[in-house]
Amino acid sequence: MRSQANPRLMLMILSAVFAFLYIPISVLFALSFNEGGLPTAWTGFSTKWYGELFANQEIMGAALNTLIVAVVSTILATILGTLLAIGVELRRRKGRFLETIIFAPMIIPDIVLAIALLSFFSLLNVTMGLHTVIVSHVVFNLAFVCSVVRARLKTFDWSIVEASADLGASTPMTLWRVVLPVMLPAVIAGSLLAFTLSVDEFIIAFFTAGAGRASITLPMQIFAMIRFGVTPEINALATIVMTLSVIALALSQRLNRGGLPGQ
Amino acid sequence: MTQTLLSIRNIKKHFGAVQAIAGIDLDIRENEFFALLGASGSGKTTLLRMLAGFEMPTAGSVMLDGQDISHVLPNHRPVNLMFQSYALFPHMTAAQNIAYGLEMDKLPRPEIKARVAEILDVIQLSPLANRKPDQLSGGQRQRVALARALVKRPRLLLLDEPLGALDKKLRGEMQLELKRIQHEFGITFIVVTHDQEEALVMADRIAILHEGNLLQCGSPHEIYEHPQSRFAAGFIGVMNFLPVRRSGNELIAKDGSKITADLGDDLANESDAVAAVRPERLSLDVQDDDNRLTGRVSALAYHGLDLQVHLDTPLSSEPIMIRLTADAAEGRRLSIGENVTVGWPAKDTRVFSA
Amino acid sequence: MTDRKSFYLMTPALAWLTGLMVIPCLLILALAFFRRGTYGGIEYTFTLENIGLVFDPLYASIFLKSASIAGLSALIAVIVGYAAAYAIAAAPAKRQPILLFFAVLPFWSNYLVRTYAWIVLLNREGLIASIVHSLGYEGELPRMLYTESAVVIGLVYNYLPFVILACYAPLSRLNPEIAEASRDLGGSGWTTFRRVTLPMTAPGIATGFVFVFVLSIGNFVTPALLGGGQFQMIGNLVYAQFLTANDWPFGAALSMFLIAIMMGLLTLQTFATERASGARQEDT
Ligand SMILES: Nc1ncnc2c1ncn2[C@@H]1O[C@H](COP(=O)(O)OP(=O)(O)OP(=O)(O)O)[C@@H](O)[C@H]1O
Ligand SMILES: [Mg+2]
Repeated sequence: MRSQANPRLMLMILSAVFAFLYIPISVLFALSFNEGGLPTAWTGFSTKWYGELFANQEIMGAALNTLIVAVVSTILATILGTLLAIGVELRRRKGRFLETIIFAPMIIPDIVLAIALLSFFSLLNVTMGLHTVIVSHVVFNLAFVCSVVRARLKTFDWSIVEASADLGASTPMTLWRVVLPVMLPAVIAGSLLAFTLSVDEFIIAFFTAGAGRASITLPMQIFAMIRFGVTPEINALATIVMTLSVIALALSQRLNRGGLPGQ
Repeated sequence: MTQTLLSIRNIKKHFGAVQAIAGIDLDIRENEFFALLGASGSGKTTLLRMLAGFEMPTAGSVMLDGQDISHVLPNHRPVNLMFQSYALFPHMTAAQNIAYGLEMDKLPRPEIKARVAEILDVIQLSPLANRKPDQLSGGQRQRVALARALVKRPRLLLLDEPLGALDKKLRGEMQLELKRIQHEFGITFIVVTHDQEEALVMADRIAILHEGNLLQCGSPHEIYEHPQSRFAAGFIGVMNFLPVRRSGNELIAKDGSKITADLGDDLANESDAVAAVRPERLSLDVQDDDNRLTGRVSALAYHGLDLQVHLDTPLSSEPIMIRLTADAAEGRRLSIGENVTVGWPAKDTRVFSA
Repeated sequence: MTDRKSFYLMTPALAWLTGLMVIPCLLILALAFFRRGTYGGIEYTFTLENIGLVFDPLYASIFLKSASIAGLSALIAVIVGYAAAYAIAAAPAKRQPILLFFAVLPFWSNYLVRTYAWIVLLNREGLIASIVHSLGYEGELPRMLYTESAVVIGLVYNYLPFVILACYAPLSRLNPEIAEASRDLGGSGWTTFRRVTLPMTAPGIATGFVFVFVLSIGNFVTPALLGGGQFQMIGNLVYAQFLTANDWPFGAALSMFLIAIMMGLLTLQTFATERASGARQEDT
């Protein structure tokens, strides 16, 4: 950026910041392979905690729940968010109100949305469970999908849409044959992002899952484990969850090239 | 006798494997309006940035008033640069932009105010003093950038394509304006341009840069009339080139015809060369000219003041250009396809080795 | 294509957002003005008591504490994040995307896991303690986990990538010639930073600060896990009203207060950004 920046100082800053960001994560990573399971001493390399993790019925149940929530809410959010993005970009008039509504789910504090949904569901006497978590996750997921797809649409050449219409295609046909294929990488990137967010989401799930073990998700399980007695399995679980998120994000980034939302 | 202000001695700049400046010697005189002319990528900006202190020369030195300033930081050089992009501070008003450099000099507030007001008047922007750059037009921004560099009254003002972003008409006006301001302030200007016409109009002296080398340095007249290389000849103004071969004291063209010129000794006998002549030196049907050639009119372009004629000849694969004044064109109506003979005196032939 | 067609495309998503975001949010806005029932339910009579309670001195100390923790976290995150963003933007252009990618990567891993990592580090029998003891230190270490500092560290750690991203955007868009112009006019490196680079990148700093502040003040996970439940942020208070104290109207009023803080700060930030970029027409 500028020639004046002192390269040694810059290198020091970067090293310090990256150390701060990555040391805690790496410690968990290393610990998950520590035979003893405690941070106090390294007693040898072992994958035994992974074995215990997969044998733990509670955790596996929570993982399955999370998978269900993430997959279903991602599919719904991808469809709704993509249509929304195309619709918004097609409009000639840009409404401030509309923009606010679409942007709000991304910036509204989770706790506010969580209690709002909790009040809403209980007022309507809806029995809460995985289904309420799913519909709640769709709220913010569709906003993220929409923002990723819109970023791509900004550079979209709309004259190909007109060309398609000119050649006799109906609007749905044009969307299906012309717009969607061009948009596909962004749509997939958006859905990967939504999937990651949904897998990691804790607060909204915590408030909308209702009582009972049946609808506990993985983050809820992790929260409980951290809070009430840490067992070394959690290191293994943390490592797996983190690795999966990172892979999904890297994929999403690769597909999208445009960058992350918020950039 | 004018004094030398700036001496550049064998200055070089490499960016990794790229040689941007290949070793240049140049003296700039006090109060001079000096133009650096060169094609895109020839190293003009790089040279200016070394003078301003933003690039360290790979080798060589820069002397200002007899002192070596090669290693002085940019903020301590009595040299100011007007950037190609203007580089105005977007968060400051025009007046604040202009005041900035004076504040850096720690001048007292009232003096800063007075000098800013004065220079705003010179550039005729007083009414817009409180606008920010994005509320100014391109021409107005250009003048703020000029004022910002000028108000510090540097020993040397460097201007990188100062008129590059302006439209043609405004450029013409600003060329004269720049000259007026330079004269009024008595500051040495080095102006970078890739527009040869602009250099001819404005500069006291011109240096031609080509691929990091200094090809020639001299007054506009010298450069135009006595280019020292084929590149310089073609770069400044329009030039007709004819491939020839030296044979004794004469030049033989492709079709065997003779071309006369004042030949020096530096061109060996029987070697290939290029003869060159400016379009305005060619005249129609003159009997006693030393050189004569005949061709077919292939195109006519009317330019108001003059008429440009393209002539297909056996001497060259390129058409020969002729520039006739409006009067001459009136006297002799030309039409496409017609055969005409043109001539020019031997003293107007330039010869370059091929 | 017409606006009517675009309307059809938007309808499903907008209906979803209306039904599951706008209406629930309006609902808690309304809840804030109802009375709490004797046994924890809601009594549908209008009252301003909940709003009044938000400003009750009883809660003032909690607000001050949350605001100071959130403010401190936001300040530290902004300083560290800006420095990191500056260093990334100063790196060779080829390397910037990869540096940025790795700076943001932790942001997309699980929040709870990242917070848990600090428990492992700060615990009395945690990694830092073991390292210090293995270096030969015998004495008692000051408590690290379940302190305010632990909460601040956790918040900074979790939101730092966001700040880096927010600050990098304006820094990378800076035309380097503008800083050079300042040097050319006689400004030192520090003056150039203070008077040119910093004001031009202030919007990124403001965005970073507002978000860290709002997310921190409404957080209940980090205070619960790293603060050991000893500190209440507004987030914890909201949590308690809904899950333990069963005073939904008051919880609703608190969350409205949270939203108000956020909107206020965002408006301020937009205003400041417009001023900085010179979008307003100056009168002459
Ligand atoms: N920072 C740099 N790193 C690497 N190469 C550079 C750098 N700056 C300039 N160059 C190279 O040096 C050569 C001269 O560039 P310079 O910018 O001086 O040209 P110029 O004459 O100002 O061109 P223009 O008329 O387009 O502004 C070019 O080949 C350019 O690619
Ligand atoms: Mg240049």
